[in-house]
Amino acid sequence: MATQTATATGPKQGLTVDEKLQKLSELYADAPELGKAALKNGLAMLTQELAAEGRAQTAGRIGARQGKVSELTVFLPFVKGGAKRLRGFLQLLEGNFRAADVVGTVHDMRFVFVDNDTKLLFATAYDGDFDPYIEDFAAKIPNAMDLWLCNFEGYPGMRNPSAAADWIAKHQIAAEAWYVNSPNLTATETRKLERVGGAVDELLDKIGS
Amino acid sequence: MTALAQTSTGQGQSVEQTIQQLRELYATAPEMAKVALERALPALKSQALEARESHTDTAGRIGIRLGSVSELTVIAPFAPGGAQRLRAMLRLLNGNFSGGKKVGTLHDMRFVFLDNDTKFLFATAYDGAWDPYIDDFATKIPEEMDIIFSAFEGWPGIHSPEVKDWIVKHQIPAEGWYVAHPDLTVAESERLKRVGKAVEEFLDTIGN
Repeated sequence: MATQTATATGPKQGLTVDEKLQKLSELYADAPELGKAALKNGLAMLTQELAAEGRAQTAGRIGARQGKVSELTVFLPFVKGGAKRLRGFLQLLEGNFRAADVVGTVHDMRFVFVDNDTKLLFATAYDGDFDPYIEDFAAKIPNAMDLWLCNFEGYPGMRNPSAAADWIAKHQIAAEAWYVNSPNLTATETRKLERVGGAVDELLDKIGS
Repeated sequence: MTALAQTSTGQGQSVEQTIQQLRELYATAPEMAKVALERALPALKSQALEARESHTDTAGRIGIRLGSVSELTVIAPFAPGGAQRLRAMLRLLNGNFSGGKKVGTLHDMRFVFLDNDTKFLFATAYDGAWDPYIDDFATKIPEEMDIIFSAFEGWPGIHSPEVKDWIVKHQIPAEGWYVAHPDLTVAESERLKRVGKAVEEFLDTIGN
């Protein structure tokens, strides 16, 4: 599942909305009937979206970013026995990744075993740019990183952060498109808002009683 | 391609037993990993104890969930010309997915082209269970769904009775899933943003 189709999230500059719509109808001329009909019926919505200012940005070296939140998607080849080890490890954790809480910039992450356990798809949403993100992991949770990444071919170890970052980037495939519901909310700000929300509820309770 | 249902194992086992198993698994690992395991074991043990309370659960028909937030990961082959159409569409949209807001349960989603544009990865984080989520798309943004997903082989159309089978066939459930704020739905985060803003205004007013 190795692929590389470049970092293609860059905006199409300089086209008017009409030109964009024209381009779309040309593209969809040979689409299945279903797609053509959907394009026709969805024109009002599309016109709005095409007129809006572009929101896609890059996460630095590689990956797409929207507002403060970036995506990282990698396909990593397992070493012999690696899939079995990682599966056992994940089962033990049962979704409780304290290490990710420690880093504090991770929104979500998934581990998906693909191609008959020969590769892992790892996909995460995080705050900020690629290089500082990896450096943060290397500084805060090198152990936890080695523990799961040692199951892949060629992993140089988190004690060598720049080599580790190069290795990740090599296996990364930048998303062509990336959507985040709250692009300006970092994981830290979310935690703060949760506290504020809790305090407000408590305050209102006190006033009410 | 997958081993679903494996995410909820480890049950009925003591943490000591599971850790023992992990040691055995790592016995054949590279030296680096064995060292990392020994160093990490104390922390892992406490995590595992905690995990008994807040472990991942199923998202319904397929996929896993942590708290309120579920994952959906689909890898599907492109129809002829589909990759070209979809890429151009995504570039023109340039990150403006008003449809995502309309659904109201969508945390994030990514579109990734694989294997020289022959396959496609769609991965999303959403609120709640699988079936209502898909129903929601069919009700709220059917056109957006067909515009995008008609790029794939065999897409039956969002209104087709076969659409759920198509998705299930191409979905690969994750075996590990982490969410920083598992109890925060999209709706709740929208509410908290409003609360946060109101509190700031309030504090400003007091400060003046």
